[in-house]
Amino acid sequence: MSKSRFLRPPGARPEKEFLARCLQCGQCAQVCIFDCISMRTGFNPFLAGTPQIDPRQAPCHLCMRCSAICPSDALEDVPIEKVRMGFAKLDRTRCYTWKGLIICRSCFERCPLKGTAIILERGEYPVITDQCAGCGVCEHVCSQDAVTTIPTRFVR
Amino acid sequence: MKRPTLRTYRRCVQIAVALAFILIPWLNSQRISFAYGNFLSFRLAGFPLADPLAVLQITLKNNYLALDLIIGAAVALWLAAALGTVFCSWVCPFGLLSEWAQGLGKRLLPKGYQGLHAGGLWIKGTIFILGLTGFLLFSTTPVLNQLSLPAWYSRIFQFIFVQGHLSLAIVAILLLLLIEMLSRRRLWCRDLCPQSVLLVLAKQLNPRRLQVAFDPAKCICKGHDHPCARACSLDLDPGRTTQLVGTDCNNCGNCVVACKKRGRALTFQFAPGPSAGPAACDLDQVSAPAKGTEPAP
Repeated sequence: MSKSRFLRPPGARPEKEFLARCLQCGQCAQVCIFDCISMRTGFNPFLAGTPQIDPRQAPCHLCMRCSAICPSDALEDVPIEKVRMGFAKLDRTRCYTWKGLIICRSCFERCPLKGTAIILERGEYPVITDQCAGCGVCEHVCSQDAVTTIPTRFVR
Repeated sequence: MKRPTLRTYRRCVQIAVALAFILIPWLNSQRISFAYGNFLSFRLAGFPLADPLAVLQITLKNNYLALDLIIGAAVALWLAAALGTVFCSWVCPFGLLSEWAQGLGKRLLPKGYQGLHAGGLWIKGTIFILGLTGFLLFSTTPVLNQLSLPAWYSRIFQFIFVQGHLSLAIVAILLLLLIEMLSRRRLWCRDLCPQSVLLVLAKQLNPRRLQVAFDPAKCICKGHDHPCARACSLDLDPGRTTQLVGTDCNNCGNCVVACKKRGRALTFQFAPGPSAGPAACDLDQVSAPAKGTEPAP
């Protein structure tokens, strides 16, 4: 994962508002039981200490502990169906199932919103819908790197 | 056995806090979680504490009151209003490191050098106002948070234990400590730290806060040798309780300890001015607090 393509924790407000509210206290990183949130390092004083998620290393499981503990509500405590950290993009030319090699279903089985965020077309082929929360679990479990989670930090 | 002095108690509290902020991120990484956060915002068993300046920044920027933060900042400001800026002298881990650096400098370096020293709120107040307006008008992140050295102290250990990253901020802190050691001045704490401005303002609002009172009638030190001034961790002269001393003093209690065997002219009390009536003293300028009038800021 390139250094600039990182996700904010679930429930994060749009980037500008998020940065204006984030106290950089690191409570979200400390409360995360999956160790997926890390605090941004580096020399940029405007970003250092703010939380980030790299789904290739550890994806978010949408437990929402971080947004519950955030003292300044930079992370809003929203139901997981409303979380839009990013959206996953499936590259069908790399996916085992779409290539017709094996029936894999790794991403479907692990998706916290399976059945709504990922559906199986014709019972076999994974398709990511617009209900995707962007947690990055599918990107993490895909052995073929067929899934890329694109952050929605700047849109929403 | 000799009874421990106030200074010993203070050192114990300071070291305990400094160690706690190393221990907490480690405990969190071991899944033992009752406390989270750093000196910007902290949560102990669910109870929030917060840096008043950080809260002021994001409250003004977003026009939004977060209950946790308001409670946390109110506790910090109330503590300052009741007991003076004891956060700086009893809690702040950078204060501890800075005192050690200054003490080391005083021990190692030749005496006689007197570096430049401003004191008061001028420089830190300017940084405070510039940082706050800069954030409100131009910036997206609360920039003054990056100037909080206790926050950086705790963040270094958060970086180490949460994600195994050694932050280079450690170099900046060590460099600053080296400068303080060479100049033998508490440069950051007295002149630069913008976080202390709000605490000082809160303390100035309450004239009946805990403070060091000087009773010139009891002072037995003649001439220019003031043990209280030598003991002071901030290079103040407690015998001259002028307004500047009142603003800068952070109730560390070193002068009270030093004065204990020399007439007890300096005491802690919850009122301005000396406990006994006015009397002649060889120290000059024992003025304003004697009449019980502490001008509001």
